[in-house]
Amino acid sequence: MSFDWNIVWSSLPRLLDGAWMTIWLACVTMLLAIPGGLVLALLRLSKIRPLAMAATGFVEFFRATPLILQIYWVYYVLPAYFDVQLSQITTAIVGLVCNISAFNSETFRSGIVSIRQGQWNAAYALGMTPANVFLRIIAPQALMRVLPALASTWVSLFKDTSLVSIIAVAELSYVSLQIRAETYRILEVLTAMAALYWLMGYPQAKLVDWIHHRFKVAE
Amino acid sequence: MTADPILIFENVIKRYGSLTALDGVSLTLGRGEVVCLIGPSGSGKSTLLRCANALEPLDGGRIVFNGNDVKSTESPVRLVRQRMGMVFQNFELFPHLTVLRNVTIGPTTVLKLSSEAAEERSQKLLAKVGLSDKATAHPSALSGGQQQRVAIARALAMEPALMLFDEPTSALDPETIGEVLSVMKTLADEGMTMLVVTHEMDFARRVANRVAVFDKGRVIEEGTPQQIFTAARVTRTREFLSHLGWHGESAGCHQ
Repeated sequence: MSFDWNIVWSSLPRLLDGAWMTIWLACVTMLLAIPGGLVLALLRLSKIRPLAMAATGFVEFFRATPLILQIYWVYYVLPAYFDVQLSQITTAIVGLVCNISAFNSETFRSGIVSIRQGQWNAAYALGMTPANVFLRIIAPQALMRVLPALASTWVSLFKDTSLVSIIAVAELSYVSLQIRAETYRILEVLTAMAALYWLMGYPQAKLVDWIHHRFKVAE
Repeated sequence: MTADPILIFENVIKRYGSLTALDGVSLTLGRGEVVCLIGPSGSGKSTLLRCANALEPLDGGRIVFNGNDVKSTESPVRLVRQRMGMVFQNFELFPHLTVLRNVTIGPTTVLKLSSEAAEERSQKLLAKVGLSDKATAHPSALSGGQQQRVAIARALAMEPALMLFDEPTSALDPETIGEVLSVMKTLADEGMTMLVVTHEMDFARRVANRVAVFDKGRVIEEGTPQQIFTAARVTRTREFLSHLGWHGESAGCHQ
């Protein structure tokens, strides 16, 4: 068996472009899914029943169905039946953001309800507005508690971006599989792809470990 | 009748499902007065305090603070709360903020004081409760007694017209109870109006102007500490006090 690692070196610029797209997708998704998750969490905790129920329906749908199906749905069903045609990138972002927002919402919700009533009372007793109570007293404490869970979601998200390769978004998986198809060097290309994912993912996993250690709830 | 009333409870009723926590409580607090609420656990004392600043909605009756109905629509309940300081059994300091920030957060976010003015005010209050050296610490680094003194400073930073104390020493180690009670005594001596739910009978006897005895959601007896602790008229009051080791006049003398 002979190996041709030159394929990897000559394809490196394309692979790095793909890696860059992977990072970009993950970052943009998380940036949108954090406020998205927070809004969904607040809606679910809202006393207005229809709002709470709508948010619950959204969250439970996106948590309980595969991301790959959600991406297909947005890409094929929306244009065919609802006359909504999104570009591949937009489709990828919409699918990922809906999915991750649903997970973040549950993370935030558990963080918010874990703050005891006394903290709300103490803040209200000072005469704070509900918005100030939430933003200055509850949310910062809740965020500290859920940071480990949020970090774990991030690591999953980073790898799950590979699923959008099915709609030809040129992220690392898609680019790698393209190069494989062009060159037939399956072992070399997939090894390079694994190495790139690992090089990006390992430091993140270590960071998550550190966050778990640093922010574990001590009370 | 109390002269110059600041806080009036009129036939206050509060229910939790089938449980009636407050069954028609009427009580008046005069400006500058210290009133202690005593009675068995679960008799409604703490509930009354939480109703006073609308942390709990009422099911009947009304509460008037400074001449305004606490629940009136024209003055938002926030404005009432700003004028009532509250101290909780479990301190409820904000754990993510430093001691100093715990005290300044009310003045800066609610009263819109500049951070310099708020810090100056807060440093004075921390000095008053004997904790100037802890300003940069986080609450978790403090003892229970120290946390409760910070909580008192936090409430005072709003320059309230009235202080509500909800069993402020019940969660404390015996050796730190004294430091909190002495801060409260100082406040009372300075003329602060205080409504105090407490199991510290000695504090009630020495500091209160009046004592109200709760049982099953009602005020069963009200009077001067002298009256309540040495000549209670109601049998239930005498029973409650004797459970705590008070036996009329003699107990008072030995304390």
